[in-house]
Amino acid sequence: MRIFSRQQNNNSTVSEKKIIGSLSSNIREMKQLFSYDINKDFSLRTLTTRFNKREACIFYYGSIVDGERINLHIIKPLLENEGDEVSNIVSIENIEKIKEYEKVVQNINSGKAILFIDGDTDAYAMDVANFQHRTIPTSENESVVKGPQDAFTESLDNNISLIRKQIHNNQLINEGVQIGIRSHDEVNLLYLKDLVNQELLDNIRKRIKELEVDNVRNIELLEQYIEERPYSLIPTILYSEKPDKAASYIEDGYIVLLMESSSACLIVPVTFWSFFHSPEDRYLRFFYGNFTRTIRFICLILSLLVSAAFVAITNYHSEMLPPDLLLAITGSRERVPFPLIMEILLMEIAFELIREAGLRIPNPLGPTIGIVGALILGQAAVEANIISPIIVIIVALSGLSSFALADLSINYMVRLMRFIFIMCAGFWGMLSLTAAFFLFFMYAASIKSFGVPFFSPLSPHYISTKDTVFRQFIKKEKFRPGYIRPKDLQKKR
Amino acid sequence: MRYPILFVVLSFLFLLVGCYDRIELEKQSYVVVIGVDKTDERGVYEFTYKISNPEVGSASVPNTPDEPAAEIVTVQGSDILSATYTANSIVSKRITLDQTKVIVTSEELARSEDFMRVIQSTSRSPQIRGDIQLVVTKEKAVDFLNNNEPLVETRPHKYYQFMLTRAIETGIIPKATLHRFFQITEGDADLFLGIYATTEMDNNEQHNEGIEDKYIAGEIPQQGGSPTQFMGSAVFKEGQMIDTIDGEETRLVHMLDKTLRMEEYIATIPDPILPEFFVSYDYSQKKEPVINIDYYPNKPTEINVHVKFQAEIIAVPSLIPYTQNLEYRKKLEEEIVKRLEDKTEAFIKKTQTEYKSDPFYWSLYIRKHFKDIKEYEKADWHKNIYPNAKINVTYELDTLEFGKMIDDSDLNEVRD
Amino acid sequence: MQSHGFLRTKEIASIVLIFVAIKFADSTPTLLSQKAQNGFWIIPAISFIVIFPSFLVMLYLLKKYEDKHVVQLCEAITGKWLGKLIGLVFFLFAFSSMVFDARNYIEQVKMLYFPESPTDYIFFIFIIVAFFGAKRGFEVIGYTSRIALPVIKFSALLVILLIWEEVVTERVFPVFGSGLSIIATEGIIKASIFAELFFVLIAYKATKETKMFRKGAIIASIIALAELLLFYFIYITVFDYNSIEKIAFPFHDIIQRIEFGEFFTNIETIFMVFWLFAAYLKFIYFLYFSAWFFGAVFNIDNFEPLLLPLAFLVILIGLLPYNSAQTQLVYHEQLYTLMSPFFIFLPFLLWFVAWLKGDLRT
Repeated sequence: MRIFSRQQNNNSTVSEKKIIGSLSSNIREMKQLFSYDINKDFSLRTLTTRFNKREACIFYYGSIVDGERINLHIIKPLLENEGDEVSNIVSIENIEKIKEYEKVVQNINSGKAILFIDGDTDAYAMDVANFQHRTIPTSENESVVKGPQDAFTESLDNNISLIRKQIHNNQLINEGVQIGIRSHDEVNLLYLKDLVNQELLDNIRKRIKELEVDNVRNIELLEQYIEERPYSLIPTILYSEKPDKAASYIEDGYIVLLMESSSACLIVPVTFWSFFHSPEDRYLRFFYGNFTRTIRFICLILSLLVSAAFVAITNYHSEMLPPDLLLAITGSRERVPFPLIMEILLMEIAFELIREAGLRIPNPLGPTIGIVGALILGQAAVEANIISPIIVIIVALSGLSSFALADLSINYMVRLMRFIFIMCAGFWGMLSLTAAFFLFFMYAASIKSFGVPFFSPLSPHYISTKDTVFRQFIKKEKFRPGYIRPKDLQKKR
Repeated sequence: MRYPILFVVLSFLFLLVGCYDRIELEKQSYVVVIGVDKTDERGVYEFTYKISNPEVGSASVPNTPDEPAAEIVTVQGSDILSATYTANSIVSKRITLDQTKVIVTSEELARSEDFMRVIQSTSRSPQIRGDIQLVVTKEKAVDFLNNNEPLVETRPHKYYQFMLTRAIETGIIPKATLHRFFQITEGDADLFLGIYATTEMDNNEQHNEGIEDKYIAGEIPQQGGSPTQFMGSAVFKEGQMIDTIDGEETRLVHMLDKTLRMEEYIATIPDPILPEFFVSYDYSQKKEPVINIDYYPNKPTEINVHVKFQAEIIAVPSLIPYTQNLEYRKKLEEEIVKRLEDKTEAFIKKTQTEYKSDPFYWSLYIRKHFKDIKEYEKADWHKNIYPNAKINVTYELDTLEFGKMIDDSDLNEVRD
Repeated sequence: MQSHGFLRTKEIASIVLIFVAIKFADSTPTLLSQKAQNGFWIIPAISFIVIFPSFLVMLYLLKKYEDKHVVQLCEAITGKWLGKLIGLVFFLFAFSSMVFDARNYIEQVKMLYFPESPTDYIFFIFIIVAFFGAKRGFEVIGYTSRIALPVIKFSALLVILLIWEEVVTERVFPVFGSGLSIIATEGIIKASIFAELFFVLIAYKATKETKMFRKGAIIASIIALAELLLFYFIYITVFDYNSIEKIAFPFHDIIQRIEFGEFFTNIETIFMVFWLFAAYLKFIYFLYFSAWFFGAVFNIDNFEPLLLPLAFLVILIGLLPYNSAQTQLVYHEQLYTLMSPFFIFLPFLLWFVAWLKGDLRT
């Protein structure tokens, strides 16, 4: 409590403090604010301006600004050019007058240079930011064969530019919402002003503003702060690193959230289909796209249920198996020391192990893990009579299928649910497996993401592109998704 | 937030109470064939279970030193299910009847009054499937099972599956599922045909006419192969076996009963021009027989049956040019039809006088002449209507084809 | 009840369709065939003809008295106390139907798939699923029905296609089974096999517009009738009259017979899964509607907390009767006989009273 109140106190002093006319006291204040004596990359440069012959001082973080630009566009003009006002002298594109220290702090943090001039109660914030970031990479986690390859990078400007590149529309708004009490981060909401549902927009703004946290460094953390059901296995926010995906959602009236230093965006609100679809489905021609969808749907079902169904059938409903298969499985199980459900669980866990290890392993070692994994899982375990060969097939099938679900959240959901289903199948065969699946399904149907039911537009029905398991011809898509209630429902007239 | 906790508690509950019907695959023994025999004592029967060995024929289990493909166990008991528990004193694993394909019963038992009592118990349990085929053997079922050692299909279920499917396709044995057995027996109007089989060669009765399938099991002369013969059917009236009919008659039943399906068969008839030779043709029937029944309460009912069929000539050893000569062809056609009609007539006569009921399931067609079941049952199809009915079966040869060869090679030219 | 007006025609139609049409997959056919023999497959048609006008009258009344569900409607027409009494009768009917059906369904599962499991535990699983499902609220029940419907109906279609080769149409004859008069009386006495139609009326206000409810309910009840007729026809043509009387669970017998080629001969478990979906849904509806009726009668607006006590009550009562054949064939038949006149005459009585009061003139 004490700390909290002190913090408030501290904050208020900074925010209330105004810039005064004396340069020396301003410099003193600044030095104190940014702990000049120990903060190594905080820089200042004093000079005498030519146009009014006064002392001036420029503050900036040396590590996040472009030194060349300060030199060329700020210092040089100030030293050499004549003029009546600062804004007419410096040749920098973005200049802002500020009066409070709070703003000064904010601006310096976001990579601007602040110019104080003796006798002036205004300071000038000039944008010379040059945050280091990667160049625009190819999308690796959501790779497509057909379609744009570029992915978001850890630079907000770049990301916005990537989206604007796809949507040439003056209605595309990039709105900043402040977040965080200690560090002032900004969440950028991108939406089409003439489409987006106002209530939805207000809801999201409200949720971001109401967050009482010190700081939210990136989108990945923000996702967990603003979601409705943190304990739910089912994700309610879509995370994507592809600008073309983001752009297509924006065009339908969704809202995209971006932050500096995140190489991805969040898309809200979502339905089950958003997780299920991939942008490539739409780039591919009608039949090819729907073929992919079919395969993916089968993968979803297989990945969720194949192991569990196998457990249920072999343990409780063995009459279902054709005699040859039954005898083959039985024959191979005669020397296995575990119950079948143990076998399945062992293999599933082993598969997850390889997956996790493969993810974390340093690149040069990568190929080894594949060989070791395949050997352990496949050959050796079978030959040692620890598991029967058919289990390897089943687990490999369910594991392989899970890779077809590109979205990370849905992937985790499926993998976790798989274990729950296997357990259920072990308890009472198809009876409990059906029960578990049924309840899971009902639970999913009850999920709402920012007020949008999870399985819309299938049920509840809405006017939409009817893009659910299968999509339509592009030319037939006449409406935007009705469940997010866009201002303009019709795509074409 | 209370629900996740409740859920966890419930799932523990699941853990505690679950697993009631759970059984691992390798802890079960899969019975492929059940044999039922009479004993000296009434109410006690001898049950034989043929249990397949999963380790034989499975590629993933390399070293099974000379284990037999199946284990045969015989125990005594009062019904099929309870005898499985007795059998467990011999068999190490739980005996499961889910995969059973065939029930074999001895002719002795099938002919006794108690047959219905044994077989009735099978319909009560879901373990015993309705599509199990009913096979009647000449010898004791236990002998049949012990003697039946297929040479090629070592896995017993495969043997029965292939054997029965093919034999039913050719029409020499009927499809005799338990479903059908109960349906016809409960319907109390028709005769049920069971599959007839044996492993005992009947040397006295073996006759060698060489034409068509006028055999019942055990009469077919054979050399080599497994000693088991499936041929002909056992006729059941009101749940009790009364007679056997041969393969050819079984085929006639297939032709005249639309609920039985037969693909095709090859028949042989004496050559109408040169009677010392035979002509073989392939009989196939694409359409169901047309059965018209004119029911008269006071005089004999008239039953008109019309069968359309196709025939393809397979072999003409007499080398008579049936393809070119229209007159010959006509003669051949007539001969085929006539032979069928004669045989059918004889067979129907037999059913009317001897069995006093029909094996063709024709009671279906009389039903529409009645308004309700009371009337129908009162009219009494198989005691009253059928035995006295005037039955007229006509065959019509729809198309006669001659295969891919237009003409046979001229023997005289070849020998020239 | 939290209604946001998300439910439309399709959702209501799905609910009605699953709720009513699942009667082809329980012991109802056996019950009907006891007296009517192979004429039993026409009984739903007669029942429908008898009860459908009453249902339409009910919908008409609901339309006239806007913004009321069925209990409120009764209160508005007959006064508060009599209306509540009628509501209570509705509740008792719904609840006892659920209890008898539950027992029957659980016996089906137990007998055919889990012979060694105790009935109590299977009962427990069933009701737990119904409870958790109902707890999600009516809208979610609607969505689930809507999404599950095509899958369930597809499996039913598959059953029809695969069994078709065993259908022998001649078995339908003699057409009137045990006699026209018996079928007709049975049809009227058992008219309440469509009683579920009336239970759904409690959800009258749940849709976006009440017009959607009426449309959905009417369309679905006609489709349900067609489905019942089709399946009953298949039962009689596959089993014949002597056998159907003895088969306690004809649907499961049918799916046991189905073969998918020579290789997959025992595939009943696949169909059992979809049947279970429908069965779970049925009990969710029953539980939810019972609670809703109860809430409506005793003025409990937030009736969802009632689900838990009701669910336990179902288990307690459902486990009482000793033998399942007894419950289904004796008690359930009595219940049908009791419900039929109520549902046939009540709507006309209500309409008459409303007409006397002059409410219908505007």
